[in-house]
Amino acid sequence: MRKTIFSFLSSLKLTITLLIIIAGASILGTVIPQQYGAEGAIHNLSPGLIQLFEALQLFDLYHSTWFIMLMSLLSVNLIACSLKRFPTSWKLFRKTPSLDADRPFQNLPPERVITIEGKPHGLIDTVESLLLKRYKRVRKKELERGAVFYGEKGIYSRFGVYITHASVLVVIAGAIVGSLLGFDAFVNLAEGESTNTVYVTRQKGIKQLDFTLRCDTFSVSFYDNGMPKEYRSQLSFLKDNTVIHQGPLLVNHPITFDGIRFYQASYGTIPGDEVYLSIRKGNGEAVAKTVKLNEPFLLDDEDTRSEVVRIEENFMSMGPAVLLEIKSPGNSTRFWVFKYIERIVERFPGILEKFPKFNPGLVKPYSFSLDRIESRYYTGLQVSRDPGVYTVAVGGFFIIIGFLITFFGSHRRFWIKVEEQGGRSRISIAATSTKDPVGLDREVQHLIKHLSLVRD
Amino acid sequence: MVLNTTMLSWVTFIYFGSAVLYIFRMVTGKEFWGPPATYTALIGLLAQSTALVLRWIESYKMGIGHAPLSNLYESLIFFSWTIVLLYLIIEWRIKSRNLGAFVIPFAFIAISYASFSPNVNSRIQPLIPALQSNWLICHVITCFFGYAALTIACGLGLMYLIKGLDRGEGSSAFFKLLPNRDILDELSYHSIVIGFIFLTLGIITGSVWAYSAWGSYWSWDPKETWSLITWLIYAAMLHSRLIGGWRGKRMAIMSLIGFVSVLFTYFGVNLLPGLHSYF
Ligand code: HEM
Repeated sequence: MRKTIFSFLSSLKLTITLLIIIAGASILGTVIPQQYGAEGAIHNLSPGLIQLFEALQLFDLYHSTWFIMLMSLLSVNLIACSLKRFPTSWKLFRKTPSLDADRPFQNLPPERVITIEGKPHGLIDTVESLLLKRYKRVRKKELERGAVFYGEKGIYSRFGVYITHASVLVVIAGAIVGSLLGFDAFVNLAEGESTNTVYVTRQKGIKQLDFTLRCDTFSVSFYDNGMPKEYRSQLSFLKDNTVIHQGPLLVNHPITFDGIRFYQASYGTIPGDEVYLSIRKGNGEAVAKTVKLNEPFLLDDEDTRSEVVRIEENFMSMGPAVLLEIKSPGNSTRFWVFKYIERIVERFPGILEKFPKFNPGLVKPYSFSLDRIESRYYTGLQVSRDPGVYTVAVGGFFIIIGFLITFFGSHRRFWIKVEEQGGRSRISIAATSTKDPVGLDREVQHLIKHLSLVRD
Repeated sequence: MVLNTTMLSWVTFIYFGSAVLYIFRMVTGKEFWGPPATYTALIGLLAQSTALVLRWIESYKMGIGHAPLSNLYESLIFFSWTIVLLYLIIEWRIKSRNLGAFVIPFAFIAISYASFSPNVNSRIQPLIPALQSNWLICHVITCFFGYAALTIACGLGLMYLIKGLDRGEGSSAFFKLLPNRDILDELSYHSIVIGFIFLTLGIITGSVWAYSAWGSYWSWDPKETWSLITWLIYAAMLHSRLIGGWRGKRMAIMSLIGFVSVLFTYFGVNLLPGLHSYF
């Protein structure tokens, strides 16, 4: 029983099946919208289908229990397979190679046998030194009338697959470490603001940092054709109100601080606290005025004080607007000043009569218009920590090393027998290789050519 | 049209000529057509290399210098370039032109799609911030060498299947010129190995780029996922060779399936919901 389970778990058929199932599942995951994408696309599906997909965790397939089980089974398969095979390879490596004088030479094709007239002096020595020069673990056994040799090279290539396979496990281990101990978060920071709280993406929670992050400035530049060229946030990292690290953050140039990496991910604008108004008195000229939120300013006559008390970037879906308060002795009026008042009146005729609070000329004799709200940039930062990433990187590197060893090497073994028979010498060359039969053949031809040249 | 694009559309015709010569040689069975086929491909490759260098220089003159590997047009051009380069190396190594008729047409299709499809913009565009990365260049180069090797494996798979229709005696010159199936299988294995190594390198360099640009080396974006799917298919294929009786025909069919997956990774992904599809 235990044996059948082990042979199932270590079988190559299981490997192939799993690789294909995982590929198929992954295809499914690229067809069904995942995670955040799912929220938007879900309306097109029937409720029954949604329920089924939910039950099978298909909206977060790559983190679903069954997908993780498949990956685990692949890892177990890999371990079992390696456990089954490694001892054989190791024995081959440790054991002194056999020096049978007959078996390797059975069924040897005639072109692998050369006959030399006479009994060249030192033929055996020549063969031996040739082998010693080119091959490893050369062994020799004297025969009654001659000798048999063994030599090999490239045994290390048998261990390439173990390196690759172990490295696949290392990559998986690194990915697990990353998903258990790391996090992915984001934070939006307006210019000049600081924070020590970031929003974790997957668990939808917040995370407190051990330091304070401040965005000093943000800038974006464009190419002549309007495509974005550079996003740049100037960041400061503070502990106990002292700046410990400062630097520009650009796309493709993350900053690491305290083991946490910061990436330039997005940006946007939010209204600042300065507005640009035009004020007209009666039929006079409009006068431009820049005012700050909650800072009272005087209109022409000494006892009318005005103040912007609220700034909205998009008030009631009618565009930018500010709430203005005008106080004269014994009287206080609040009303909205829209940037696009003409368009609003055009679309909703009579609106000013219905809602006097939207009338920019509510306080006679003044008439206000909003030219612009100063806006500030905010920078969108991705904040993440992944303690598994170096493990994954090392694994990736050794997968490639394993490939190179496996695919560009082969374990070639040679048996050479030298016999004297009635005034002639006969040399037989038997060879095996783990792969690349063409290369092996070329090498044997080379040996034959070399040995045929040996003369008295 | 700018000089480099004009040159590249000539190269399309050169590759067409070369493909026709290779096919003509197979059909007539006359080696007479072989050398002109090879030389035409070689001239095409040289002209294409020159055009790529010119394009690179041109981008610097525009003040937005970058390697010509940054949009669909440039990647298709590079794809055809890697196919022809790899093919000519193989032709020279194995001293046989029989593969040409099955491989050069792919290079021709890639470059003609780039040159003549109205959906493919041939202008040199500046790089948006996310694409300003040397890792991305490594990524594109390794991926396309991988794709080219797998394209060649697909050509070999086709040859294998066609050879299977050969009824032995009295068959046409075409069938006689097709190498025997053991050789095709061996060659196909070598191309898949090369393709698999480059595909792996492509995924690794892509992950390094994603790690520096997006903050995560793997985020199950459709393009990433499809590259993994392709990789898994070829991994399955390499392992199935180790099971007795799985070489040969099954391998040939799988190399066609693998190639469809490569194409989907390259083009089809744009049809799927996703975050960032640049190519
Ligand atoms: C995705 C993960 C895997 C990768 C990337 C991988 C990669 C490779 C590569 C490149 C080879 C060499 C193939 C050749 O020589 O043509 C190989 C061979 C092999 N693999 Fe895997 N493999 C993986 C998973 C597995 C698993 C799960 C098993 C479990 C049974 C397995 C068992 C084997 C065996 C038995 C060999 C043959 C070794 C030999 O030639 O002595 N592999 N693998």
